[in-house]
Amino acid sequence: MTEQALELKPVPTRILTDKDNIVDVIEKYAKEDIGPNDVVSVAESVVAITQGRFVRPEDLHPSLLARLLCRFIAKEGSLASAYGMQTAMNAEGSWRITWALFVGMLGKLVGRNGLFYELAGGQTSLIDDVTGTMPPFDKCLVYGPADPNGVAETIKQRLGCYGAVVADVNDLKRAAVLGATQGLVPKEIAQILINNPFGNASQKTPIVIIKNYGLAVQKATAQ
Amino acid sequence: MELLIVLLIIVVVAVVGVGLFIVKQGNSNFKFIVDQRTDFTLTGITKAEAAFSATVPFINNGTQDGTLMDVFPRHFLPSEQFDAVDTDSRLTLDRANRNDGYWEAYIVPTTTGGSIILTVKFTAKSGDIKAALKDMVDMPIDIIYQVVDRGPWYLAKERLVMTTDEIHKALAANEEVAAR
Repeated sequence: MTEQALELKPVPTRILTDKDNIVDVIEKYAKEDIGPNDVVSVAESVVAITQGRFVRPEDLHPSLLARLLCRFIAKEGSLASAYGMQTAMNAEGSWRITWALFVGMLGKLVGRNGLFYELAGGQTSLIDDVTGTMPPFDKCLVYGPADPNGVAETIKQRLGCYGAVVADVNDLKRAAVLGATQGLVPKEIAQILINNPFGNASQKTPIVIIKNYGLAVQKATAQ
Repeated sequence: MELLIVLLIIVVVAVVGVGLFIVKQGNSNFKFIVDQRTDFTLTGITKAEAAFSATVPFINNGTQDGTLMDVFPRHFLPSEQFDAVDTDSRLTLDRANRNDGYWEAYIVPTTTGGSIILTVKFTAKSGDIKAALKDMVDMPIDIIYQVVDRGPWYLAKERLVMTTDEIHKALAANEEVAAR
């Protein structure tokens, strides 16, 4: 099943904040468009923001360790600032991050890249540094969402749809499903979302409905 | 004992090595180049209001990328000095071209830069902006900016002066164009 075979319907919303409940928002903006065979996907950073999982650099006090270790992250990385590194340490623990970075550096010496993010815990690769999210959260570091599977199940129960996912998608053709309702295949949904139908921040479409996904599954099964 | 000495040497070498690495790595270094700004030009005028804009370049000439988290102007026109106008100043990244006064956090790669457009709007308390600006005084404006990079975040500022001369020149140029 590919994106070409399915209709993807982005749903515009206003800017969401920690005052919002993501399931209420989906109900408010998309209920009329969601059918029993549809899969609702929602952007992970927006779920995290509605969960209040963001912090201003001014509210962080980076440890000496964070200030030291951030120096060993490539300058493009979200953990390259002391604040990004401290955020990762707050989420996954200082010693885990330190150990992962040490092993990651050893791994690089023998040509094994990516070990740091494999060992440092799931939140580490989900942290968005400042500038990583739409205004007014461009001045905040945003963690990954909490309990994405639970969020997806709640969406499905409330909206009566075929399924729901919380997805991390960007314009660099990278897509990952962080949480999904039972029965969905995360890799398959990620492939459907690979062209980033959520668009950029200014398009304000954090919800994408994958129309008639359930019918497509039935058809594929029958064949 | 020998083992302890070897361990101590290893620790000292490691600490010195990391220190040298950090020093060599460096950090971002921002500068708003106020002495290379353009003159203020008139960008809008009504009976009661006049808006003037100037472009101010900035650069990150450090060795690391840095983020301009926030940039905003602060004008200094106390009523004790000049009481004929209400003043509003705001700025935007030239390529962002926002008009809401909001600065969207912006990564500036090492050895690159950009420009801001600084806009100052005067509203005449009397309702006649041309008459009000006749006795206008030079007005300092600070460009205040917050930086986040590999080190602790910090605020810095650079000062420019919006001169009476350029305000009058801009108004005169507008009148010349209108007369044609």
